[in-house]
Amino acid sequence: MNNRIIKWIDQRFPLSSFVKHDLTEYPTPRNLSYWWNFGFLAGFVLMLQVATGIFLAMHYKADVTLSFDSIQHIMRDVNYGWLLRFMHATGASAFFLVIYIHMARTLYYGSYRAPRELMWWTGQGLLLMLMATAFMGYLLPWGQMSFWGATVITNLFRATPFFGEQVVIWLRGDYGVGDATLTRFFSLHYLLPFLIIGGVLVHLVALHTVKSSNPSGIDLAAKDNIPFHPYFTIKDLYGLGIFLIVYCIFVFFLPNSLMEPANNIPANPMQTPTHIVPEWYFLPFYAILRSVPNLVGGVVAMGLSVMVFSFMPYLDRSRIPGGARYRPWYRAMFYLFAVDMVVLGYVGYTPPSDQSIVMGKIATFFYFAMFVLLPFISRKEEQWLIRRGLPSDVKALVASEAKEKIKLPDQRRSGDIK
Amino acid sequence: MAESDTLGDSNRRNFLIKVTSVVGGAGAAAVCVPFVASMNPSSDVLAKATTEVDLSGIPEGGVHTVAWQGKPVFIFHRTQQEIKDMEASNGGFDPEPDQKRVKRPEWLVVVGICTHLGCVPNKEGPGWTCHCHGSQYDDSGRVVRGPAPKNLDVPPYRFIAADKMIIGEA
Amino acid sequence: MKKLIVILMLCCSSIAAGAAESKLENIQVETSVQAVERGADALMNTCHSCHSLKYITYHDLVKFGMDKKKVDDWRGDQPLDTAVTSQLSDETAIQSYGKVPPDLSLMTKAREGGANYVYTYLTGYYITPEGMTSNHVFPETKMPDMMGMSGATDPAQRAEIQTKARDIVSFLAWAADPHEEERHKLGYYVIGYLLVLTTLLFFVKNQIWSRLK
Repeated sequence: MNNRIIKWIDQRFPLSSFVKHDLTEYPTPRNLSYWWNFGFLAGFVLMLQVATGIFLAMHYKADVTLSFDSIQHIMRDVNYGWLLRFMHATGASAFFLVIYIHMARTLYYGSYRAPRELMWWTGQGLLLMLMATAFMGYLLPWGQMSFWGATVITNLFRATPFFGEQVVIWLRGDYGVGDATLTRFFSLHYLLPFLIIGGVLVHLVALHTVKSSNPSGIDLAAKDNIPFHPYFTIKDLYGLGIFLIVYCIFVFFLPNSLMEPANNIPANPMQTPTHIVPEWYFLPFYAILRSVPNLVGGVVAMGLSVMVFSFMPYLDRSRIPGGARYRPWYRAMFYLFAVDMVVLGYVGYTPPSDQSIVMGKIATFFYFAMFVLLPFISRKEEQWLIRRGLPSDVKALVASEAKEKIKLPDQRRSGDIK
Repeated sequence: MAESDTLGDSNRRNFLIKVTSVVGGAGAAAVCVPFVASMNPSSDVLAKATTEVDLSGIPEGGVHTVAWQGKPVFIFHRTQQEIKDMEASNGGFDPEPDQKRVKRPEWLVVVGICTHLGCVPNKEGPGWTCHCHGSQYDDSGRVVRGPAPKNLDVPPYRFIAADKMIIGEA
Repeated sequence: MKKLIVILMLCCSSIAAGAAESKLENIQVETSVQAVERGADALMNTCHSCHSLKYITYHDLVKFGMDKKKVDDWRGDQPLDTAVTSQLSDETAIQSYGKVPPDLSLMTKAREGGANYVYTYLTGYYITPEGMTSNHVFPETKMPDMMGMSGATDPAQRAEIQTKARDIVSFLAWAADPHEEERHKLGYYVIGYLLVLTTLLFFVKNQIWSRLK
């Protein structure tokens, strides 16, 4: 019976061929590690946020006189409202954690390199949309931190040349963050996730064109690929189980750990809290913003600090295959960069002191220095590695590399070291 | 993929996968519960289980509409003539003596929701008329013209003072 | 390299922890109905004259399990589903104290240190050398010493005030998060279920991957 229905559909829609081509027979490198689970996890958290968000929106009121109360209504009166709210708030942090690990995997293993640049850039676009969604969502509870965080960040658009003042007013719909701002942020916060879903589909189409990279960074021979289903469907589900345990520990036992106390106070435009702090996932970029004493400079630096990742495919000039596994200098840079992000996060969190200001400036300089120096260091490292002699397993991998379907005119991709 | 299993192996494999699928499916079903439940009336809505009504402001012949559990309730202060007329018959399509529908004959308390499809009828002359589909009720809330099938509901209520009643508690 | 990162993160968190101003007393908030009801009682007598709890209704108190007679006493002739608001008007408050007493529904969540903060604050009143009443935790406070700690010299008196303060904070902690107990209970079941499911998935994963040569 089932087969006849499927046959009927197949005559009208490429259902079976799609499932075969992109799921059950889709070739995936057999050596993928658990660091490759995070793309799936990101997609899962996206669905979780959309689901909890839609049900929260059934009770939330986007009006300055009603929003704080509506959230208390959700927390206290709506059946399982507290659960929906905590899932959604924790989910936002979970989303960023998963995405940052996903990006770290891509950087470490060189998965941004040709021919996967478009994957990296669609990912970059998705990150920007995610940041915008999170920023707008944070205003919705209309707490003290919501209000003042939105005030500070919308103020930054004053840096726009010539029209700065008007841009800020246009963004807010008012002279200060107010009811107009809240209503439009709610509208856009509801819209953007669906644009993100669209972006994810583009990201996945790109993925299925170039196929996954793998921990060695060198594309494996065809025989070393295995079908995605059942091997990676079950591996993704197992990874999901682990993720959900950590996620649920936060939702059920530590939900307030990620919420600033000041956000339990209704927004007061007449009084700024002593300590304005963004959510943890924005801290490093916030630190970079504050490290430049000039308004325009700070905004440019912050914007650049997010966008600079886009240049990675061109900044990395090494032709040694893959990512950090066979490149010790690149690996060191990666770890130093990670430490720098933590330092920046700390600087972003603490109230400015003489100490932290200096630390912030050094860490910001270091942040950009990493990118600026990468072209030179990667070239030098390549020469050093060739002189030293490549490890035999790399040579073997390169030798057995499958004939690529994608023939690039320029040679600079994994495996081309001539 | 080499399938090097004996019949015993594949049975064990199928069993494990079956059990895991059942456990996973149960979890997926359980996750739906809070989402669906959140759409049910919230506790503040349910808390409005009783409504106190002050009757002193309702003159003879007057009708007062109060909210009880989010529904309109008609409190009708009937004149002696209206009481006599209602006691004279058993109503229309859903026969019921007037005495069974009131605790004190001068106070008629009925839920103001048409028993057809839920619109709120208007007080017009004697009784109520529902303008959605034309149903009519008499001064005892009994249906005298369809398409409504039943008389207006009498909610649980009681008098707590000479001029005070509480709706929601018998 | 990874160890270095962990050490660095620990250093950062300890610096952050050390930066707290005054030391807060660590109290164990009680969650039983009796303790929370005692706290509600104390709050109605001590705090309710000035402070509101706009997100708690008398109906919520009854639903939680408090004695209905007590609740009826507290609400007077207000209906059950009214919020626990104080009678002090904003104008009178500003005239007498200089500011409107904040709502207490979320107080244990709205301060860094939570319940510990509120407890240490309530018991933190003292008399300065100049004879003025001040508070260790929040010196700029406009609130008078309602618990009487600044005048309590006798250790028995102080202990009694501390118990009363603990009850009040227990009630406020419940008021800020009435579903906490339910949440924890559900959490144990959910985590337990996930551990079972993840273990099963682990074995299924191994079984499927063993098919590879």
